[in-house]
Amino acid sequence: MSESEASSRTTAGDEQRSRSQGDGGGALQSEHGQTTIGEGVVTKVAGIAAREVPGVHDLGGGAERALGSMSQKAGMGENRGQGVSVETGEKEAAVDLSLVIDYGESIPRIAEAVRNQVIKRVEGITGLTVTEVNIVVNDLYFPGDHESQEESRVS
Amino acid sequence: MARDGEPPASERVQVARIAAEAIDRTEGVTATPHGGGRWQTSGGGQTISGVLASENARGRVDVELHLAAEWPPPASLDELGEQLRDRIRRSAERGGLGERLGAISVAFDDLLTPGESS
Repeated sequence: MSESEASSRTTAGDEQRSRSQGDGGGALQSEHGQTTIGEGVVTKVAGIAAREVPGVHDLGGGAERALGSMSQKAGMGENRGQGVSVETGEKEAAVDLSLVIDYGESIPRIAEAVRNQVIKRVEGITGLTVTEVNIVVNDLYFPGDHESQEESRVS
Repeated sequence: MARDGEPPASERVQVARIAAEAIDRTEGVTATPHGGGRWQTSGGGQTISGVLASENARGRVDVELHLAAEWPPPASLDELGEQLRDRIRRSAERGGLGERLGAISVAFDDLLTPGESS
């Protein structure tokens, strides 16, 4: 299935909420000083949270996943920010996710579960308020997809 | 404490040392060496990474911590920031530097997941 055929975009909440102005990191002011959370931190938390939901096979578009796979094989480790884009303001964060979902799973149910998990994790860990989680389902994973690609083409 | 043959550390460096000790004692955080040397304090014969201590216009020493959090963090990052601030303030007061301490900013620049290192 092509990416465009499988695309589904959903937005958190009924109301369109505006994002806070991005400044490269969320800042939490207390009477004793300021704590700043980098965008890279929020990106990783959101990526880990999305992967925790059963039915999420991977994150990112085709090219991104291919690059991630090559990096992993080269021993560079998994890219936790793959398929995740965030924008942070002083107290708020907005998250965009690109998902590959296991075939047979309910896309609306998985999208809602991912949204809830990302909000819970990002808010719980960073202290920032998540204003929106936008999800693009850009592909479906069929069991055997990966195995068939790795089979030798010659006997 | 000055080492043999070295001048005594300035209050700025003493505060930076206190901050570095607070980072070491706080579970789930580590100083980040990133920033091309901008986030470090040198003096008294040593370089303290991840801590930028600088004297402000009122003669107090402001502290900026640049950190990586470890996954999973033992508490929320803003709570870890408060723990660090408390530790630094208490240590500075014990060391007679409480009045000299200015603002303490905490920046979480990275999150280290298993297999990653700072």
